[in-house]
Amino acid sequence: MTEIQEDDDLVFHKICSLLEPLNHKGAKLTRDTDLIADLEVDSVSVLDIVMDIEDNYDISIPVNTISETRTIGELVDAIHAIKKEQS
Amino acid sequence: MSLFDKFEKNAALYNQLSEAGQNPFTVVMEKVLGPTRAIIKGRETVLAGTHNYLGQTFEPNAIAAAKEALDKEGTGTTGSRFANGTFSGHKMLERDLADYLGMTHCVVFSTGYTANLGAIAGLINPADDVVLIDADCHACIYDGCALSGAETIRFRHNDPESLDKRLARLDPKVKGKLVCIEGMYSMFGDIAPVQEFVEVAHRHGAYLLVDEAHSFGVYGETGKGVSEAEGAMRGIDFYTGTFSKALAAIGGFVASNHPELEYLRFSSRPYQFTASPSPATIASASAALANIKAHPELRDKLWANARRLHAAFTQLGLNIAAPPAPVISVLLPNRELAFAAWNFLLENGVYVNMAIPPGTPGKESLLRLAVSSAHTNEDIDRLVAAYTAMADAFEGARVTASAERVASIQSKS
Repeated sequence: MTEIQEDDDLVFHKICSLLEPLNHKGAKLTRDTDLIADLEVDSVSVLDIVMDIEDNYDISIPVNTISETRTIGELVDAIHAIKKEQS
Repeated sequence: MSLFDKFEKNAALYNQLSEAGQNPFTVVMEKVLGPTRAIIKGRETVLAGTHNYLGQTFEPNAIAAAKEALDKEGTGTTGSRFANGTFSGHKMLERDLADYLGMTHCVVFSTGYTANLGAIAGLINPADDVVLIDADCHACIYDGCALSGAETIRFRHNDPESLDKRLARLDPKVKGKLVCIEGMYSMFGDIAPVQEFVEVAHRHGAYLLVDEAHSFGVYGETGKGVSEAEGAMRGIDFYTGTFSKALAAIGGFVASNHPELEYLRFSSRPYQFTASPSPATIASASAALANIKAHPELRDKLWANARRLHAAFTQLGLNIAAPPAPVISVLLPNRELAFAAWNFLLENGVYVNMAIPPGTPGKESLLRLAVSSAHTNEDIDRLVAAYTAMADAFEGARVTASAERVASIQSKS
């Protein structure tokens, strides 16, 4: 269990590092941060960030999954589920 | 009230544009004077922001054919392709398009948008199939995926290796795989390495759909598009196109050598549940198709115009998004400058398109110019003069390229 959390944490930090250049308001990034409402990141930017995540973890994240996630935490959980499924 | 809350942010942006000058999204062509001229805001303007690539909007034979169709068949079909709105003209145009492309089957839709929507949603079963799309694909391809309900995976723009990786990762249980790319991408005017995509797709047992909306009639030795220019016509599974650009009408089509394409006629909602193109529309599109087949010099003129403009803009030090193409996009450092420069051009009698994030690849702000074979030397002179004045008027209009983008453009040319 700790191993999973550790990994989860790494995914969270990876996403935060990719989002940081778009965090123009300097908001604190947490699992509850809403990508569009809090960070005002547009939907296309989210898709582009996801592509970096895909290449980083060698997984494919469907557009459908991304459109269902609102917060950083939801994105982390989705990536985690896909990593498990595709490994 | 909450129904409308979501519009607030974009409404503010939209209204800001109207307050700061002419809003690019509210331009009205008050009077159309010809294929490349219209009156806008009371001023005679050179049109370089419509997609009249082969200048077919006022061809006398197309107009005569449309008038004859109006007289003989009436103003509308009052029916859908599927149920009650297929006339012999629709079938003849399907035959003519298939023959032109060297394919065995063709299905005509009411718009280019519905052709892609209908092809993707019609071909795909959401339970078993996956669609893989180039990240820069047009909205209608994204919408086709959404309508299909299938899992949709994006790959990096014009990057067959990125597609390769994503195809390799797919669950072996996936049954049908459809890859969607475009011939020429309309925002930058860059083209796809179609043959490389054919090879990657087929190696993984995937089908390839190429949307040639902007490149049909324009690329390739006989105008069949980027697929022809790249030597890939035989390898592509589905070819989609529109009547609203080179053919100067409205409508769209999907062509294929797979006889199963015919199944779309009873399985594609955008084919089944919307009215079919009017007789006059079909007649003018058919005439325009005959014209572009008979007059390859239209393509030569288009390309001569494109090269001349591209060379002039390069000379000016503008930051052009791609090598010479029928779309020439000049990148500007931010949306404010793009907006001011676009207004400046309009005030100087030149109409082009402004495109700003988030609707643009790489979050670029740009001015998109669409070249026409009908642009006269005088039109081209006016375009060059207006861009020259624009480059002089706005510090920052010249050279904004990031080193990365310059490198990527050079590697493609």
